[in-house]
Amino acid sequence: MIIYTNEGNPLGLQLLMLAKFAKRSVQLVNLNLNDAKFKDFLILPTLELDNGLRLFSPAAIAKYLFVDEGQLRDEWLEWSTMLLAPALAHHMAVGHRADPNALPVLNALVKKLDDCLKATPYLAGDKLSAADIAVWSLLAPDGTLKGAQNLESLHGWYNRVKALPEVQQVLAEQPLKDLSFNALQQSNRYGGLHHVPLKRLSLADAGKLLAETASTVADTVTDEELAAAGASFTYTAPKDVQEQRTVLPKAGERNVLITSALPYVNNVPHLGNIIGCVLSADIFARYSRCAGYNTLLICGTDEYGTATENKALAENMTPREICDKYFELHNSIYRWFGIGFDYFGRTTTQEQTDIVQEAFKDVHSAGYIITESVEQLLCQKCDRFLADRFVEGTCPHPGCGYADARGDQCDKCGKLVNATELIRPRCKVCNTAPILRSSDQLFIDLPKAEPRLREWVDKAENGWTHNAKVITRAWLREGLKPRCITRDLKWGIPVPHSGFEKKVFYVWFDAPFGYVSMTKRYTKEYQKWWQPAKGTDVELFQFMAKDNVPFHSVVWPSVLLAINKGHTLVSHIMATEYLNYEDGKFSKSRGIGVFGNDAQATGIPADVWRFYLASARPEGQDSSFSWNDLAARNNSELLNNLGNFVNRALVFCEKNFNSIVPEVVATEEELILLALVNRELRGYINSLEKAKLRDGIRHLLAISRHGNGYMQTQQPWVLLKGNDEQKKRAATIIGLCANIACLLANLLFPYMPSTARTLFAQLNAKQTPLNAEKPLATLLLPAGHKIGKPAPLFAKLEQSFIDELKTKYGGSQETKASVQSQSSTADLEQAVQAQADKVRQLKTSTKDKTVWQPEVSKLLDLKKQLEEAKKTAVAAPASAPAPSNGGQSVQDLEKAVQAQGEKVRNLKGSTKDKTVWQPEVNVLLDLKKQLEAAQKAAKAAAAAPAATTAAPPAASADAGQVKALEDKLAQQAEKVRTLKAKGDASVWKPEVDILLALKNQLAALTGAPAAGGQGKGKKKK
Amino acid sequence: MCDVAKVQKIAHCLGVAPGKVQLNEEQVVTRTSGQNKSVAGFSTILESLANESKSETAQNSKVSREVEAQVYQWIEFSVLYVAPGSRDRNVAKQLLGDLNKLFASKSYLVGHFITLADLAVYYAIYDLVKSLSPVEKEAYLNLSRWFDHLQNRPDVHQGEPLLNFTTIYLHGWATGTHI
Repeated sequence: MIIYTNEGNPLGLQLLMLAKFAKRSVQLVNLNLNDAKFKDFLILPTLELDNGLRLFSPAAIAKYLFVDEGQLRDEWLEWSTMLLAPALAHHMAVGHRADPNALPVLNALVKKLDDCLKATPYLAGDKLSAADIAVWSLLAPDGTLKGAQNLESLHGWYNRVKALPEVQQVLAEQPLKDLSFNALQQSNRYGGLHHVPLKRLSLADAGKLLAETASTVADTVTDEELAAAGASFTYTAPKDVQEQRTVLPKAGERNVLITSALPYVNNVPHLGNIIGCVLSADIFARYSRCAGYNTLLICGTDEYGTATENKALAENMTPREICDKYFELHNSIYRWFGIGFDYFGRTTTQEQTDIVQEAFKDVHSAGYIITESVEQLLCQKCDRFLADRFVEGTCPHPGCGYADARGDQCDKCGKLVNATELIRPRCKVCNTAPILRSSDQLFIDLPKAEPRLREWVDKAENGWTHNAKVITRAWLREGLKPRCITRDLKWGIPVPHSGFEKKVFYVWFDAPFGYVSMTKRYTKEYQKWWQPAKGTDVELFQFMAKDNVPFHSVVWPSVLLAINKGHTLVSHIMATEYLNYEDGKFSKSRGIGVFGNDAQATGIPADVWRFYLASARPEGQDSSFSWNDLAARNNSELLNNLGNFVNRALVFCEKNFNSIVPEVVATEEELILLALVNRELRGYINSLEKAKLRDGIRHLLAISRHGNGYMQTQQPWVLLKGNDEQKKRAATIIGLCANIACLLANLLFPYMPSTARTLFAQLNAKQTPLNAEKPLATLLLPAGHKIGKPAPLFAKLEQSFIDELKTKYGGSQETKASVQSQSSTADLEQAVQAQADKVRQLKTSTKDKTVWQPEVSKLLDLKKQLEEAKKTAVAAPASAPAPSNGGQSVQDLEKAVQAQGEKVRNLKGSTKDKTVWQPEVNVLLDLKKQLEAAQKAAKAAAAAPAATTAAPPAASADAGQVKALEDKLAQQAEKVRTLKAKGDASVWKPEVDILLALKNQLAALTGAPAAGGQGKGKKKK
Repeated sequence: MCDVAKVQKIAHCLGVAPGKVQLNEEQVVTRTSGQNKSVAGFSTILESLANESKSETAQNSKVSREVEAQVYQWIEFSVLYVAPGSRDRNVAKQLLGDLNKLFASKSYLVGHFITLADLAVYYAIYDLVKSLSPVEKEAYLNLSRWFDHLQNRPDVHQGEPLLNFTTIYLHGWATGTHI
């Protein structure tokens, strides 16, 4: 037989063992699936039988070679391939595929093995079977059981199997150290076992059994790494660095100017905006300061433009008032998130006006401005040109004809619309028809700047993210066109050009200069940053979402190149993709998603949000915000990994060494740990230098994972009870762990500043600068250093709490609507929130329970009230509208049809569940039928007035019948209403059908020469 | 389709009472039949069903040790790669291509007759095939032929509406309205 496998594949070992036990001779062939020669192989290892048949499933092979060993054996075989192997593959995965959730699953699986082996010597009973071989061969490579505890039965079995002569012979041919689960990546073209989902076991937590890291990593450390780790682990007293009041760039030093895309003032930022721009910029800026670079972080709100004017009209305020209101909102949100801007400004300042007007004059005198006449809609009543969004009319696209299309886009067919092409346009404000008037506008001549821009892009784009390059290249490939930079608005920066005094600059011309003007507000010497002197290098990092790229990579640089006064041009465009909300889009109007102010209301600390958002940052591809993921990362990474390590280290130090950091006498174990830490530290620095924030977090967490693994294998708690020699070892271990905790505090600072500060306080240490040139761990806490009081850094997020938040921000309109309709619940909610805020504040300001306890009880009381109010609110409003009574006039019916149509549309928009909207659709169809009948009757009545005189007797003859039907109908409707309020569709559906039938009867009666129809018919005429 | 549903469908195909099918605490599908006999694991359950069944499909699946081994490996393939891989665009493409190539020279996965292997892969790949556009279905012609052939068997479709494999798809596109 021949075994085809790939290098290092652990399943190859399984086949070798099976063949050995089956006493078959085999030949081993290593091959590479990417090689075109082997395109017929689907999965490795594949066994070729002597008759040429190929089998690729180890379990199938085991069953083939060892025919019948019973059902229990079969179940274990399947268990090993379907559960154990995927869990191991997830656990051993490295890099972005590393899965922190695999360990608890694996612990549970190992526990099951141990329990089984307590009862019987082998998995399927008293004898060795193929199942034992399968499971053993999976546990042996990568040293899964190394450092495991409380698994005596499993260990015993493992050693028994290992000692078998057949196993020893196989291991002589195929050493364990050559095998690794990562080789499974290359074992098929379906991504190894990576796509096999990890089963979420509902078993109770099996506890900590396996060591936290795959121990084979330690075997890969080289002697050079050990030597370097040992040499650098020394103490240097920190220098006191005087912080400058105003940061300015200096010649010969690294100067980093960071901007975050200016948020538009009247949008409430959601989590996607926050991680896309401001938070990313802040984390990078904090890192940059830690690394000792001269760093300036600038941001502010973008305030001019149509949207603000619109909002001002809607809220009946002046644009200035709108801006003031929303600026505060932005400012408070960012402050809560701990964004440390050096200056957070706004674009509506005198500085901005001066700088933009001067820039315009420069561009103009350099000859880059052209004037063209543009046809625009002018509203004579409002005396102004209408921006696209201020015009509405009939959609010009054939086949659509939607009457309320906006000037930029039709909501019905979704196509872009040219405002001037709208059929029957009307002003959104006063509803009069605007006229077409040509008006002169100024354009920037981008084609003229294009050659210089291309030259610059070729050099600069190396530092940009991939999407920024792609978007810019796409723009350049199409060739640049002149862009209009003026608008006929009032809210903007006036154009300083004769004949254009009544116009303002387009926001995209003025907004980027906001970066400059805000720097000017920060320091009078702003030109040192933006037009640096020769010899001073300023690197400009701009953070944004990808939709802003063209304005930062093409338009603004073109303007600055046209001015040609040595402006700092962007060297690093850091563009993110989009963040989705639980696989959908954030939507303010539908209440879906978490917005800046909501994050605060959840009570989850800002630092946890920062950590989660950074680790879910949409780098490279869109990512999703998910509540479960947030909870999982908080609980497994922050709480169980990082928090656990730091806390254990410090508590040991406090309890056993009287809070004095003991001396570290490094043996090889310590050097290996330091070498591994140094690897991650280098990865951390490299990632953050390139603003790859997500990777940075991964490296940071890997350090504490190494620390946990080290502590777990060294077991200082055992050593502390031993002899003097062992006690010294324990001292070294604790000393080293405390030092790594201090390193972690430094690395954590950019991501979680306030948590890092807390940790520094617990360590009684100061922040030390990071050395990006030489990223090696040093001794931060010398022997004899006295630490502070350790306390847990993170709290667990319970699933019930997360579920609550999930429903709250899931955007179910109905619950929101019903709450709104009940003003009392709304008031109560407000009261609860206010009280909660009060309690939170009290709790942070004081630890005295007697102070805040009464407030807490008040809060609980309020919450109870609220819950009751909500219950009644849900029960009260009938979910269906009152069914229309018979004998309606055409007009009433029309109204009813319209209302019902609206309802159906809403329902369909909000849910895909057919059972929800189907009944409503039925009602709609029914109403339409009635309307048709009524209209017909009305027409008939109008067309033949003579006939109507004959009609009344007939109608009155029916009147009694109609009355009876109407009564019946009302009763049935009432019944349906009460049933619907109780919920279960299967119960009320039949009743609804009866109701509909009744309505039809009534319609048939009244739809004929009905009395109501006559009057309407006349009116219509 | 979840494992529980797949087991029930396949039990119907084989004309065997599925018994009580559910997930155990390890999220592994289990079957408890007649005399309180319990079996855990998708592949092992399918084998137990085949042993109880007199249907042609079941008999085909155990004509020899070689066939049994191959049937088993495809059942395992359907669980480890087909069902999870369908959720990833790139893996799904690879899967469809590989299976399409396989069916270029075969009518069934194992041997010359329908076996449990076909059923397991059929139900695992059902959702993926359902999501394909007419053009894509045409690109995987051999796979489509196999799938369409299977779905037309009453014991396989079990009353579900058949997926459309007609190649005259243009009429569905050109509705005459302006897009």
